[in-house]
Amino acid sequence: MTTTTWGWLVLLFPLIGSAVISLGFRFWGRTAGWIGTLAIALSFACAVAMLISLQSHGATHRELTSSLWNYDVSTGVDAHMAILVDPISVFMALVVSGVSTLIHLYSISYMKSDRGFARYFAYLNYFVLSMLILVLGGNFVMLIIGWAFVGAASYLLISFWYRRTTATGAGLKAFVINVVGDVGLVLGTFFLFRHTGTVGFLSNFNAIHHVFHTDSTDLVVACLLFLVGAFAKSAQVPLHTWLPDAMEGPTPVSSLIHAATMVTAGVYLIVRLHPLFEMAPTAADVGACIGCATLLIAGSIGVVVTDIKRVIAYSTMSQIGYMIMGASAGAYSAALFHLMTHAFFKALLFMAAGSIIGAMAGNQSLDRMGGFRKALPFTFICFMVGGLALSGIPPFSGWLSKDDIIGYMYHRGGGFFVLGILGEVGAFITGLYTFRMIFRAFWGEPSPEASELEHGHLAHAEVPTNPMTGEEEDTDIGFPGPEHVIAEREWPMRIAMSLLALLAVVGGLIEIPGVDSGITNFLAPAFPHSRLFAQEPSTGSAWVGLIVTPIIGLIGIAIVYRLYVARRGTSARLAERFAPLHNFLVNKWYFDELIDYAVVRPALLIGRVADSVLERIVISGGVTGGVTGVVRAGSATVRRAQTGFLRYYAAAIVLGLSALSLYFLISST
Amino acid sequence: MSLSVLIWLPAAIAVVVALLPVRLVRPVAALGSLAPLGVAIYFMVRFDSGQSGLQFVTDKVWIGALGIHYKLGINGLNVTLILLTAVLFSVSLFWSAGQLLERPRLYYFWFGLAESAVLGAFCAQDLMLFVAFFDLMLIPFYFLAGQWGGPDRVRATIKLVIYTMVGSFLMLAAAIATGVIGTGPHLNFTFTALSHIHLSHSSQDWLFLCFAAAFLVKMPLVPFHGWLRDAYKAMPIPVVAVFSGILSKVAAYGFLRIVLPLFPYASRHYQLAMLLIALVSIIWATSLAFTVRDARLVVAYSSVAQLAFITLGIFSLRPDGAQGALLQMVNHGLVTAGAFFLVAAVAARCGGSENLDDMGGMAFRAPVLASLFLIIALATLAMPGSSNFIGEFMILLGVFQTKMAIAIIAFLGVVGASFYGLRLFIRAMHNRPGPRVASREIVGTESIAVIPLVLVILALAFFPQFGLHRSQQSVKATIAAVRSSGSGAGQAAAVGSTKAVAVAALTPRGGNP
Amino acid sequence: MTIGWYLAVSAIIFSVGAGGVLTRRNPLVVLLCLELMLNAANLALVAFARMWGNEAGQIFALIIMVIAACEVTVGLGLIVAIYRRNLPIDVDELHELHG
Repeated sequence: MTTTTWGWLVLLFPLIGSAVISLGFRFWGRTAGWIGTLAIALSFACAVAMLISLQSHGATHRELTSSLWNYDVSTGVDAHMAILVDPISVFMALVVSGVSTLIHLYSISYMKSDRGFARYFAYLNYFVLSMLILVLGGNFVMLIIGWAFVGAASYLLISFWYRRTTATGAGLKAFVINVVGDVGLVLGTFFLFRHTGTVGFLSNFNAIHHVFHTDSTDLVVACLLFLVGAFAKSAQVPLHTWLPDAMEGPTPVSSLIHAATMVTAGVYLIVRLHPLFEMAPTAADVGACIGCATLLIAGSIGVVVTDIKRVIAYSTMSQIGYMIMGASAGAYSAALFHLMTHAFFKALLFMAAGSIIGAMAGNQSLDRMGGFRKALPFTFICFMVGGLALSGIPPFSGWLSKDDIIGYMYHRGGGFFVLGILGEVGAFITGLYTFRMIFRAFWGEPSPEASELEHGHLAHAEVPTNPMTGEEEDTDIGFPGPEHVIAEREWPMRIAMSLLALLAVVGGLIEIPGVDSGITNFLAPAFPHSRLFAQEPSTGSAWVGLIVTPIIGLIGIAIVYRLYVARRGTSARLAERFAPLHNFLVNKWYFDELIDYAVVRPALLIGRVADSVLERIVISGGVTGGVTGVVRAGSATVRRAQTGFLRYYAAAIVLGLSALSLYFLISST
Repeated sequence: MSLSVLIWLPAAIAVVVALLPVRLVRPVAALGSLAPLGVAIYFMVRFDSGQSGLQFVTDKVWIGALGIHYKLGINGLNVTLILLTAVLFSVSLFWSAGQLLERPRLYYFWFGLAESAVLGAFCAQDLMLFVAFFDLMLIPFYFLAGQWGGPDRVRATIKLVIYTMVGSFLMLAAAIATGVIGTGPHLNFTFTALSHIHLSHSSQDWLFLCFAAAFLVKMPLVPFHGWLRDAYKAMPIPVVAVFSGILSKVAAYGFLRIVLPLFPYASRHYQLAMLLIALVSIIWATSLAFTVRDARLVVAYSSVAQLAFITLGIFSLRPDGAQGALLQMVNHGLVTAGAFFLVAAVAARCGGSENLDDMGGMAFRAPVLASLFLIIALATLAMPGSSNFIGEFMILLGVFQTKMAIAIIAFLGVVGASFYGLRLFIRAMHNRPGPRVASREIVGTESIAVIPLVLVILALAFFPQFGLHRSQQSVKATIAAVRSSGSGAGQAAAVGSTKAVAVAALTPRGGNP
Repeated sequence: MTIGWYLAVSAIIFSVGAGGVLTRRNPLVVLLCLELMLNAANLALVAFARMWGNEAGQIFALIIMVIAACEVTVGLGLIVAIYRRNLPIDVDELHELHG
């Protein structure tokens, strides 16, 4: 079979899985989970086959397209139902389908008591399909379709427990912000199409050299609009506010969509469109700066948030900030490398957090947690592996990949050097929030739930409540589940987490400066003309970074150890002393309020004015009312002639006829 | 087979139905509606999409002294709309068959007559014939709304009739004037004859305005939409589905088939004005759909916004915009009819109320209904991957290349749609159940109308080329006619397309040509 | 005899009929007067036909007779209907068309 046939098969299996599960939802019962997992596993197998098949092509022929039928081909638009198989898309397809398989497996246990079990797996398979369309699509239209599909899947899964108003609200917010991103992509495509007359990726990349010069206005605008799409999807400032709210979804969803795969789509987009960004360095600089800003802002919020899932969410934003910064600066292989390792350790962290939340009977607050080290030893090990990888501590995977990006920033020099230094600050903050979370959850006095668990009893809430609002749960449709599950007791969860933990440890070994550069070599055929891809820091300077960065991270860890373990209570005193700063951070830099006042309220106000004033008064009153008034007055005058007396009508006829006869008599003579 | 069969078959069936015993009326009317659908499919299959000219022409002199012909024909502009008409009337009759109505024979008679009138308006290739069918459409709807409507039906119907009649009379006057001024002593009202005439700029201007008034009222766009709110609230659901799904499209089709080719100068002259009306309508309707609490009105205003997008596409005066507009007419017809049916289904589950505040939480006991609703809601908001997205994409691409600023502002409508579309879905299906909600799964009489629509929407999502492919030649010819009558804009388009061709020649591309 | 006399008689009968329609209140009498007017027209038509030697006028007259018969039937039917519903037999009282 050809490479592209494998590519289509990668898409086919999740489609079949989703269709089969949803059409037979009454029939499958608990089998649905296995069908879903099998479909994604087969998709992963096809992705591996695609990889092997692609490697058999010569290095200059590794950009393959294939189209099934004309999708939107008329009057100059040339959107085929097409895929593009090249090292970038194969790499992404492998990461997506691989991590998805493990998370499906984890979900079989995690969701086993939920009444929406089949619905959950139908959505999850649909999500994987969407994400694979996104990474494999061969033109902008396919990309946008995948882009919007993942948004819809994300909405569906965020609102999975749809009787929670917080969940539906969060879903709506995520969807609308993502549509803003879609609009950015569509408009960017328009700006390109206007000059190149095509929507295909490769044809655009070939054409831009003929129609643009470096930093052409329209090209820069197009790239900025693509960045809007990337920022909305990857939760970058200021379009990031949906991601923390998205934690309303089930924890495996947070793990898959809002950590490992979907939110990294923005990074993929920038890497995919690198020929455009290299011709529009202004836009690329904007991307790098926003990425850097996000990594600091999100990190700073992560230090004060008390909801364990939201801490990880802010950490995700922060890590994607690294990737966006790197990809915009030209560190394509480093960004994708960090994307991969991040997918491993962040998915792992969420899974472990899910296990703790299960042990806490649905409670997610760090304030209530403590001392789970003995009660959940397996989860603790996984969390530690994930946390160390996240903080970039050797020899874990995050150590190599994060520093790969920072090293590249130093290497490019100039303004990027400053961004690199800010990246080191980010590494320090990463150490702070990661280990603050670990120390608060696993160290200290065991919480009641933890000590109960040590005696073998799993905690259950008397009345399940929504952790956000305290509202009582609607148990009809399910909520995190009456039977909570912890990794300690469920083998599918253990397998999924063990594999990810293994990958989080060894995943970095394929790209060690001076030893091997598996990812760079693999990706190179996709960057035939890239100026920036070819640049790489020297092995020596890379190793200096590899030593400095973890030290900075360790300093951060040491500080939180002092605050939360060695001298408990210091943190509260600090929060009091710096109350304004603390409030500023707890309120998430007031981004939600800003958007509320700047966008949401005015929009609703306009709607209300349109309804009450314009529609009622101007249209119904003025236009319609005015016209009817005139008609009514006119008819009232004419109506007086209608007396109803037969003789009057008869007389009118006679008189009229006489008058006519007279007229003709006179005029004829 | 002659096109006369297609357009008169529904009326003939309606007459037969009106004479049947009452118990047979509903099934016969519903199944009978499949016959015109079959005929429409027959024409669709035999249609040669490579041509831009008329096909299956019937041309007889109707009123010889006035040069009025009974001329019917199909080209790329109306072929998919005819199929859409047959589909929507069929599903609406199937929906009606599930309801108990008073005086069913009369109801089905008017419904059949309405279908004939709409098909006639789409097929007519003579200006006076078009006007006749356009006005004939109103009569059945007057009775359908006035007799089987909601509580406020009389006032609403009168408002509707007066609004549309004013437009119709203006159009009648303009149509006569076009023929008289254009073809002089040898009166001839066929589109073919009229497309060769040369009207002075000033007469084009006022004729354009008269036609535009009729079509803008029918669609309706702001500020001609005063009748919409009451009329849509008063009509029974199958009637409002057809009215919003099809009748508004006749108006949009009229712009494309009549106004653009006959008044090319005026179309260019008023292009900006029309684009601005459409833009204002998008913003206006979107912001209303944000805030109204009535589910039916949300759909109604979303429909206004969509029609404004269609107008935007037509008056981009570019082939891509017009292609998108045509595709969007089909998409919107399917989606809006489905949305109205689902609103009715949801209202039936919360004590008959169509207020969003009374709804909620229905998805749990009605997963299939919720899934159908979700598909329709996502298609309404033109999510990429639906055919509606391709329609909007082409429309906005066309406008973008003509008036960039308008396209960019119009994107506000896209973002807004995502909000009100999902809000409708969430308020109906999710959150806590409303006080009077008694949710139950979708039943046969509902699904027989909704499921075919959803299947068609899904099929089109995979293959939007279905519509684009057939209309391409005719649209290109129409737009070329508007642009060719001496203007700089035409040259700019020519330059743009040669550049695109040059780029396409430069670039190796995989896949089918 | 010249046509003038026929026309004069016709005009007189027509005026008598018209006067009756305008002044009388009993619908039965109004109907009678209507008949008078129709027959006056018939007379004129037949006279003209004779004068021109063209039978078209006579055919008109025949048609008018048929129509008159129909009209009387409908009119009498209405009167009976009014009577049966115990409404006043007076055209001035029947002013439902009042605007």
